[in-house]
Amino acid sequence: MFEKEHLAIASVPMQRWGELYDEQEALDNGTVFPDLNKPFFVMEGAPVPERKAAGTPGEQQREHMLLQIQKVSFVVDDVRLYMDTHPRDAQGLALLRAMLGKRKQLLKEYAQQFYPLTIDCMADACENVPEGGCYCWQKGPTPWEGACV
Amino acid sequence: MWIYEKRLQYPVKITKTCPKTAQLIISQYGGPDGELSASMRYLSQRYTMPDKTVGGLLTDIGTEELAHMEIICAMVYQLTKNLSVEEAKTAGFDAYYIDHTAALWPQAAAGVPFTAKEFQSKGDAITDLTEDLAAEQKARTTYDNLLRMIPDPEVRDPLKFLRAREVVHFQRFGEALEKTKESLRPENFYYFNPEFDKQFLKK
Repeated sequence: MFEKEHLAIASVPMQRWGELYDEQEALDNGTVFPDLNKPFFVMEGAPVPERKAAGTPGEQQREHMLLQIQKVSFVVDDVRLYMDTHPRDAQGLALLRAMLGKRKQLLKEYAQQFYPLTIDCMADACENVPEGGCYCWQKGPTPWEGACV
Repeated sequence: MWIYEKRLQYPVKITKTCPKTAQLIISQYGGPDGELSASMRYLSQRYTMPDKTVGGLLTDIGTEELAHMEIICAMVYQLTKNLSVEEAKTAGFDAYYIDHTAALWPQAAAGVPFTAKEFQSKGDAITDLTEDLAAEQKARTTYDNLLRMIPDPEVRDPLKFLRAREVVHFQRFGEALEKTKESLRPENFYYFNPEFDKQFLKK
């Protein structure tokens, strides 16, 4: 398994690119890589809590879009760490670039429809607002209020 | 420099007040193997790493740990935000309540305050990466223990996600250790300290 074996030091085999989960499965399992999914036995068959978006249709639409952002961004997070240790992996790079494009688009749409998630997104939120506009960085619920799905 | 993104990495929506559960999971905020100590460990160790890409990995994982700290804090907050004083008394949350009411403060489950004594930044890449491997395992075991004790599916769901991240980070630190070995002498990895005796590093 190891290319070189050495005594008196820890060794971990390098991961190889393989099967991937889709965006929803990745968020559900805490990784996009099935090879790294090592669940704890007490969680076997545990019920997944039902996540029903509450509130007005507008609110539901907002939460749905935020979940899309969470899913795509999580694939970015996980693949970025993979690329940190596999900088020449072409398949990883292609996936990262695709997800970054998707994330950028979603963040922009979210800012335009609801409120900006980062300060840079404020520019997107103000794009269609005539001269002046409003200071919208403080708009929207705080993340810890359970407004994230 | 850091940029804040106004969302959690993983959704947290807890509808039932439970100060007892809050008191247990607060350990992953300020406890010995919690997310705050994880973040401070990696963000402290990164400056002197001999391999720039390992320093980069420590930045990325240290940043993700900050997001995990926010998830844990959101859970504690939601478990106690509608707390009555009666609930605080009966659930064993009373001692915490006296000092902090329902605010967030980093401590271990047993009440020990957060301290930098919980992690090391030793200035030797092999030593620090070996600590990081152990740190991920200790955090995983803490999540295992929490998952055994806590029945509420709304609480278990984000805990399961956070536990899975520890396993992924362990793999990445292992790979970072392999990378670090490349600049050392294979016949004796301990011939010099790669962060201090830089003249011996293989280019």
